[in-house]
Amino acid sequence: MLKLERLTRRFGDNTAVAAATLEIPDGQMVGIIGRSGAGKSTLLRLLNRLIDPSDGHILFGDKDIAQLKGRELRRWRSDCAMIFQQFNLVGRLDVITNVLTGRLYELPAWRAMGQIFTPRERAFAIEALDRLGMAHTALQKAETLSGGQQQRVAIARALAQEPKILLADEPIASLDPMNAKIVMDALRSINQQDGITVICNLHTLDTARNYCDRIIGMQGGRIVFDGTPDLLTTDMAREIYGAEADEAFNEAATSTTLPPRKSPANEGAVHV
Amino acid sequence: MSDIPFTGRAGPEASEQGAVAIFERHRAELRASRRVWNILGLAAFAICVALSINISGFFPERLATGVPRIAEYFATIMPDLSWDVLFAGRTEDGRAVAGSITYWYTDFWTYIELLWETILMAMTASLIGSAVAFVLSFPAAANLAPNGWVYWFSRRFLELCRGIPEILLALIFVFMIGIGPLAGVIAIAIHTAGALGKLFAEVNENASERPVEGITAVGGSWPAKMLYGVVPQVAPNFFSYAILRFEINVRASSIIGFVGAGGIGQELNRVISFYSDDRVAAVLILVVLMVTVIDLISENIRHRFIGKENF
Repeated sequence: MLKLERLTRRFGDNTAVAAATLEIPDGQMVGIIGRSGAGKSTLLRLLNRLIDPSDGHILFGDKDIAQLKGRELRRWRSDCAMIFQQFNLVGRLDVITNVLTGRLYELPAWRAMGQIFTPRERAFAIEALDRLGMAHTALQKAETLSGGQQQRVAIARALAQEPKILLADEPIASLDPMNAKIVMDALRSINQQDGITVICNLHTLDTARNYCDRIIGMQGGRIVFDGTPDLLTTDMAREIYGAEADEAFNEAATSTTLPPRKSPANEGAVHV
Repeated sequence: MSDIPFTGRAGPEASEQGAVAIFERHRAELRASRRVWNILGLAAFAICVALSINISGFFPERLATGVPRIAEYFATIMPDLSWDVLFAGRTEDGRAVAGSITYWYTDFWTYIELLWETILMAMTASLIGSAVAFVLSFPAAANLAPNGWVYWFSRRFLELCRGIPEILLALIFVFMIGIGPLAGVIAIAIHTAGALGKLFAEVNENASERPVEGITAVGGSWPAKMLYGVVPQVAPNFFSYAILRFEINVRASSIIGFVGAGGIGQELNRVISFYSDDRVAAVLILVVLMVTVIDLISENIRHRFIGKENF
């Protein structure tokens, strides 16, 4: 169970996240929606402490994540994997090493500095890549892959962390619809098969509806909606998205829904 | 509400006119203010040039009288070679014939040994200096330093290292540990650490933050973030700068011997102070040859490497 209590982050006079209070049970798949600047990204970054909160608590078990420092903080980050909109892989490293960096927290310092990984760790990383259908690229430099492939490698890196929670910050915003579907399907099956809590920022409404058990709507840093997809009425959605409603509702342009009849849509899909 | 509609729909012509007029006015203001600064800057530059000409006495007539003396000096260090014995070997009793190349380059193998020592000094100093620069370039990069103090101290330390001239450092180390190449190596290594450290740190500051953020998010420590997130991005540039520095260090280590810190400079200093004029030329030719060859080789390596990495 992940509990947020009045979690707040201010940047100068601007409050990016205002007193967010939430309870997320283990194993849920949560979509956070809202227009640009609503505080979705800040909220996610607060959860794994890429940004420090100004106020409030993040409770996981009996630990207050907001107070962690040093090695304890790094341990939390390794338990709470993150996927980024721009993938954040190390382009000049090969794919397998990128995935192996998911093990960095567990490694003794001398092995981390020598880039010495055991055959068992390598096997684990290859299995993670294979789940995403990317094992054949293991020895390529990450920067040679397409966006969709890079995101799948990034998910494999997250899997290598053996996380309890998986955060995804706009994971499909830079991808075309087919790759977006592959990535969302992968996140969904990680959630269902491994029981990992997935918290995902999404810009488009239909993706959130299709994939998530629960939708949280944010507006101006506040949580204005929290419920199952069927509770999210069109009026509510219009209010959340405001001026960006048309874009968010334009499912053809930005969604994971593939146009029908466009030959085998599942060809590239990954059965994770 | 304002006169200019937010969208162009209400009155396209009127708003366009307004926007153009505003733009033209801003542009004229910007150009006027820039012109003042340009004129001020140019005037300041002209004053500096005039002062430096005056202080250094850079006058045409002094140059005109001085230039022929360069030729005079080269005339005095030219060896007395004569055609008929130019390629003559040593006589039976082991003496070289005056006027032959063998006579001119009697100490050829000593020179070669010293040139080799010079190159080795440059290599060792470049390696040690690059290693120190590598380690310090991460805390000395504004975007990577773990905190302000570490940043401040590593920056100042690098400045100190490159602020003291090599030749002065060499004098100090000759005094400390005695005459020989070790003093020269340490002196050049310190200067290299300072100069390369700054360049490396600037390369680090241009590295993308995204991979670093990725390594932060997997729970990597600060050294792990540097090694996995930054080093792969900057390694080709580091390598190129280090090789360039090696070129510079070959030149530096052929001079540093003047204060007794090893290498060919020591021999050059000796022949100059003994007025063995033709030998000065002999050594100088070899030094120029060595520097040229090293430059060509390292340039080749650098270009090949940079080309391969698509920089």
